[in-house]
Amino acid sequence: MIRWSIPALVVAACVGYLIYSASGGSAEYYLTVSQLRSHAISGDVRVAGVVETDVQKSQGGLHVTFTEKDGTASIPVDYTGTLPDIFRPGITVVAEGRLGSDGVFHARTLLAKCPSRFSTTPYTQ
Amino acid sequence: MILGYLGAGALLAALVMGGFSAVLSFWAGSQENAVMAQVGRRAFYAAAAMIAVAGGLLEWALLSHDFSLAYVTEHTDLSTPIALVAAGFYGGQEGSLLYWALVLGVLGSVSLVASASLGLRIAAYAAGLMAAILSFFLVVLVLVASPFGLLSIIPPDGLGLNPVLRDGGMLIHPPVVLAGFASFAIPFCFASAALLAGRPDSAWIAHTRRFALIAWSLQTTGLVLGMWWAYHVLGWGGYWGWDPVENVALMPWLATTAYLHSSMVQETRGRLRAWNFGLVILAFLLVVFGTFIVRSGVVPSVHTFAISAIGPWFLGFLLVCIVFSVVLLAARSSGLGGHTQPVAPVSREGAFVLQNLLLIGVVAVVFWGTILPLVSGMLGQQRVVGASYFERAAGPLLVVILALMAAGPLLPWRGAARLPSLRAMMWPGVTALVALAALLVARVSSIPALITLPLVAGVAATCLMQYARLSQGWKNLRRRRRRYGAYLAHLGLAVLVTGIGASHFWQQEKDVTLAPGEQVTVAGYTLTYAGSEQRQLADHTELVALMRFGDATLEPARATYAGLGGQSLTRVAINTTPLADVYVVLAGVTADGSASFSVFVNPLVSWIWAGGAIIIFGVLLGNLGERAAAVEAVRRRVPASVPG
Repeated sequence: MIRWSIPALVVAACVGYLIYSASGGSAEYYLTVSQLRSHAISGDVRVAGVVETDVQKSQGGLHVTFTEKDGTASIPVDYTGTLPDIFRPGITVVAEGRLGSDGVFHARTLLAKCPSRFSTTPYTQ
Repeated sequence: MILGYLGAGALLAALVMGGFSAVLSFWAGSQENAVMAQVGRRAFYAAAAMIAVAGGLLEWALLSHDFSLAYVTEHTDLSTPIALVAAGFYGGQEGSLLYWALVLGVLGSVSLVASASLGLRIAAYAAGLMAAILSFFLVVLVLVASPFGLLSIIPPDGLGLNPVLRDGGMLIHPPVVLAGFASFAIPFCFASAALLAGRPDSAWIAHTRRFALIAWSLQTTGLVLGMWWAYHVLGWGGYWGWDPVENVALMPWLATTAYLHSSMVQETRGRLRAWNFGLVILAFLLVVFGTFIVRSGVVPSVHTFAISAIGPWFLGFLLVCIVFSVVLLAARSSGLGGHTQPVAPVSREGAFVLQNLLLIGVVAVVFWGTILPLVSGMLGQQRVVGASYFERAAGPLLVVILALMAAGPLLPWRGAARLPSLRAMMWPGVTALVALAALLVARVSSIPALITLPLVAGVAATCLMQYARLSQGWKNLRRRRRRYGAYLAHLGLAVLVTGIGASHFWQQEKDVTLAPGEQVTVAGYTLTYAGSEQRQLADHTELVALMRFGDATLEPARATYAGLGGQSLTRVAINTTPLADVYVVLAGVTADGSASFSVFVNPLVSWIWAGGAIIIFGVLLGNLGERAAAVEAVRRRVPASVPG
């Protein structure tokens, strides 16, 4: 049994180190809009919120500005790139990027909550 | 209406039969009562038959547009194409659970038919465990998530399927993935039954090898199809995003891959008994964990999960499975030793052990990345990791696994005392060096690419070398089919990894806005925008941009579904050649006629799909019609002499 545990421990130590070093650099905070407002976090974060109706598209749809909000707070978001298919006011998006000194959240990626085959609105009469 | 009552009745009957089979089989096993064990098995067949009846009734209700059933109303409508209406069977939560139970019932019955030869106790306990798992699903189906719930007022039309899912991928990806998950319950049940019966020899491995291979093939196909579907439909230019939904499908696959290799060590050398039990149990627990994650919404994902009442049920089921497995393994660990002789570090079995440890390491990396939001959310502020975490943590482990794939098959069993295998390593080594030199000449500077791709070339060389040896006698191919099938699967993986590597390292993207007649060039491929047009189709309209590309015309489009709140959907246009895919996404068209595009050039993506096909072909080649021989070989090598 001891002979087995040596390579196992070596591999486990390597895996532990890899997990530790990789997650240290790339773990990002996952926040709601109000949490972002109340914490001053420098660096990349992901912010989840609902898209307001003030969506402004330019450059043929490749650049967009809008307001993302949750129950209590809101934040202007600026994003360049292809928009998710289901992007429109009222849906929940997760913006990944950082809050600039201009008070605008500059998103690098924009993920829309994708409708899963497991979720449909229950039919109500 | 009547279909709803009949279906609910069939599920209830199945639950009664399943519960009866579970109790009776365990009792018959403990009493060694052959007649009652047989009755228990037949009760399982009856439960499976009732589930098949329920499934038939649900399919009938879907195809006849019986909107008195809430499930039919919520997942189909009159305008949905008939094939997708049929696919509604597994398109929703309740139906997918019924489908899971159906696969387990049918394949489980097949696995039980010839199980009596394993000995009464193993066969009875396996039937009991399978019936218990089936009964859990039936309890959920009857009490919490019935697909046969009725609506008080029958609507004239249904809500329909989300347009993102109105695609051919919907017809094949979900059922294959779910069947891959459900079928792995069979090796789990036989492994646990062997432990319960105190018979930890290789008989259960031989009996369930086929089902483990079926489960693995289905999981592999499911993953590749999922990648293919995401790539063709979602329009972000990639195929894998390290989303929790993808991760929980990948982890059981990794564990099953490890098991397929380590079980060979037990079959041929009688080693790694405890490890094999642990792996089968781990793989099944990961399946249940994945089902729980996907249906509970405890981690943030791009997918929105229905936060439904079945989350706690699956958490409870997961906990019961974990406790049962840990207690069982602990109670039986004393009987699992056996060999005292150490494994030679440089040997075939040594390579298998290392490969297994590394695969489980990758599982740990993926697992941690998946549950980090959950753990960090409990301890304070929720945190998430992105793709870079998975690449940096799992990448080095995968590179070592590739090296083992190149070297392992050339190492002899039992170890190489005089290292004659170094000569055998020459060709893969030379191939890898040639590949490295070619990459350096092509001025590739990415270190991961310089490590990965030469190793892949080495893997391919190792496999091809084995086939080259065949020229000395073709009858070897018939006699050792399992082996040659496995080399073909390895070769397929090498092709697949080449595709993943090339598209990962050398993808190019450009976002452009073009007036009609203007050109864009990405990675040497030139596209000309010719103008746009509006098209009216049956259930939606499409805004199509015409892009000239050589002699071909690409037609990226945006579809708008008026019936679903004006939801719009990208139609990606892809021009595929063996060297690269030109992948065009239409972002929008402005009033003056100019259009915006994201243009991707993805090298060697078609190799991924080809590699997947080669893997499955290899598994088929190696295993069709080989059953009797495999069982005999095992019986001869490993006598059943371990005390319980």
